[in-house]
Amino acid sequence: MKLCITATGKDLSARVDPRFGRAPYFLLVDTETLHCEAVANPASATGQGAGIKAAQILTDRGVTAVLTGTVGPNAVEALQAAGIKTYEGVDPGDTAQEAIDRFKQGTFSASSAVSPRGGCGQGLGFGRKDGLGRGWGRCRP
Amino acid sequence: MPAVKKLAPEIVAAFQRKKFTTPILGVTSGKGGVGKTTVAVNLACNLADHGYKVALIDADVDAPNAALLLGIALENPEPVSIGMPEVNTERCTGCGLCIDACRLNALFLPKGGTPLLLGQCNGCEACFLVCPEDAFTRKARMVGSTYCTASCGLTLFTGELTPTAEESAGVVKALKARAFRQAAEFDLFIVDTSPGTHCNVIFALEGADLVLAVTELSPLGAHDLELILSLLDIFAIPSRVVVNRAEPPGTTEPIHAIAALHHTRVQATLPLDDSLVKSYVEAVPVIRMFPQSSCALIFSELAEAVAKELAI
Repeated sequence: MKLCITATGKDLSARVDPRFGRAPYFLLVDTETLHCEAVANPASATGQGAGIKAAQILTDRGVTAVLTGTVGPNAVEALQAAGIKTYEGVDPGDTAQEAIDRFKQGTFSASSAVSPRGGCGQGLGFGRKDGLGRGWGRCRP
Repeated sequence: MPAVKKLAPEIVAAFQRKKFTTPILGVTSGKGGVGKTTVAVNLACNLADHGYKVALIDADVDAPNAALLLGIALENPEPVSIGMPEVNTERCTGCGLCIDACRLNALFLPKGGTPLLLGQCNGCEACFLVCPEDAFTRKARMVGSTYCTASCGLTLFTGELTPTAEESAGVVKALKARAFRQAAEFDLFIVDTSPGTHCNVIFALEGADLVLAVTELSPLGAHDLELILSLLDIFAIPSRVVVNRAEPPGTTEPIHAIAALHHTRVQATLPLDDSLVKSYVEAVPVIRMFPQSSCALIFSELAEAVAKELAI
């Protein structure tokens, strides 16, 4: 399985980042060999659509599952369309290695549409919209 | 007070340019609820009553209410739409150029599939432009309406944003375009804007020859007057200040000082006047309901001054 862990740094000793679209790095880990490839997330500072952009990067890299904190509603749709499994709820205090260990122990279960529109995912969506993204959206006629 | 941004002279010139000679008077404010629409409606009625052909443009598309103050029902609706991309899956080769072109990251391309519109699209149509296969078609998304109502001796153009839509500025632009198509029929456009200094206000004031900045005396009013006058400075639009609810008398000093700082002056000062409140409730402009009231007389003087300044 090619698992993506959202992280604050470039290797498995880095802490996980619970934000899916805004995490500075994606650690792409082969769960068999533990080979780890770090991909800087260009969408971490994107105004709008960071989650969709992140899902696109992972899709293009052939990732099959994501381990993160929370995935926003748009990104959930993208990941579903791409057939990428989503595991939510990592502990932000964990390193990526610790998160993988827990993952292998079966701590996380794959979620389907965990952050439905209008549900708990709305909080995330709101944050995104009120940031730079919102300014863009409104200012362009 | 943040440093005032300087715009390139070409941008300022483009902002002031218009394709017709009918003058445009803007009525705006930094703070909401200070009486913009009351001022706009009374000026429009006064000038219309003096025989001018006046078009009043209610560009406060998030909360248009000039029609309420005039007591008229909106007529002749036209939809305002933006084009959303729809993918022709037979033409699309999945090249992904549109994914890179979308500044809002609204499109997602599953492996081996065709683009899906998942995020917020503002209708910029960059995806249409870059698509080598011409695989996008436009699907209209309605973001608002415009209305044109001839009543009370004037023509009212009203813009209305669809609730939950974000494209206020787009509705303002569509509204002005609709009104301006008939520019030759009018002696004057009066554009009533939203409060604030954001893009809806800027688009509403584009092309204005003179702008009245309405304020009240409160610290909030003074603070927000400073903001709106700064905006008008940035676009080099001539302005005058109108003070509303000037009570108690003698406290207008700070407003005069702010006006002077921005090289303008207070053109009219409206007292707290019961007749204004009554006319507001009855939905008949004070200038028609109580033409001898102190407010009505001040509006008349203001209308005269504006007509002179704009040479109509």
